[in-house]
Amino acid sequence: MSTDRILQFELARLNAHLPEQRITLKDALSSPSPHVVTKEGSRHKFERGELEFLSKMTPADEWDKLRLPILIAINPKLGRGAAEITGEAEVKVISQVLGKTCRDREMVIYRPEIAVVRAKLPTTTQYFFMVG
Amino acid sequence: MAKAIGIAPTRMELLKLRQRVSLAQKGHDLLREKMDALVIEFFGIVRSIGEVRVKTMQQLSSAYRALSICFAMQGTIETYQAAREARKDVEVDISTRHVMGILVPVMEAKPVERHALARGYSVYATSSALDEASREFEKALEILIKLAELEGGARAIALELEKTKRRVNALEYVILPSLKSMVKFISMRLDEMERENFSRLKRIKAMLEARE
Repeated sequence: MSTDRILQFELARLNAHLPEQRITLKDALSSPSPHVVTKEGSRHKFERGELEFLSKMTPADEWDKLRLPILIAINPKLGRGAAEITGEAEVKVISQVLGKTCRDREMVIYRPEIAVVRAKLPTTTQYFFMVG
Repeated sequence: MAKAIGIAPTRMELLKLRQRVSLAQKGHDLLREKMDALVIEFFGIVRSIGEVRVKTMQQLSSAYRALSICFAMQGTIETYQAAREARKDVEVDISTRHVMGILVPVMEAKPVERHALARGYSVYATSSALDEASREFEKALEILIKLAELEGGARAIALELEKTKRRVNALEYVILPSLKSMVKFISMRLDEMERENFSRLKRIKAMLEARE
């Protein structure tokens, strides 16, 4: 049974990098050292340049709706290489980054698009593996 | 056969094995997704390393050219003397960012390029060639810090990628096939036992009928 235990440990560790609590873009912009504390207790810092890039793309009245980091939810049920973005403000930002138009609260993006998003927003986006 | 595999062909064992197969399959799917994501990250960082390396080589070559000119104009000993007098402290803020649980270094250097007066050596006793060489090396240092950050990140991601790939392969080629063969063996054995039982009952019924 040791392989099962190793596997369960691996699955539990997959999302250890996620923050305990996400912060809004407004809070991140006003903080001198914008960061979040992860579930395992370490700090994940946001780059100031990225925050400014996001603030230019988002209207000022939506800064408190956009929660950071933006989660790229990877769900094996969607198929290999597909990921989901949820949240109105989050979907708006990601669709602007990708040059798409999407008005839903959810959007599905694929591997080449994930690469583009991660290249443009390396610290303000995080992968989230849907284990359950 | 049952002895060779080392499992009891019971329904309880079959249920347990099916749970293990579903856990292993879920783990395999998620770890493969993680591996794909790590590959995206790794190639992204490798591309940046390539660009920054080209910049570093160009900057270092112009810095060494400026240093050679400085050696020729000012003299080697004087240049070494000025280098000993220069301030060598560079403030670098090192923090981390997470890429799927991997700690990737983030280095933010305070502006390395300084004013000639802030460098620490005497501006009256040295030539402008030394200022030029210093400026070029300060620019190179800034790029080198960026390169160190990227290479540290690439190394960390590559190690995690190697580990994840090994796990995915172990699940795909060893654990899942062996679990599936065990499930197949138990279900076939149970079917066989059911058939044996059925024919035994039929035979008993026939014997009882013959006796009456």
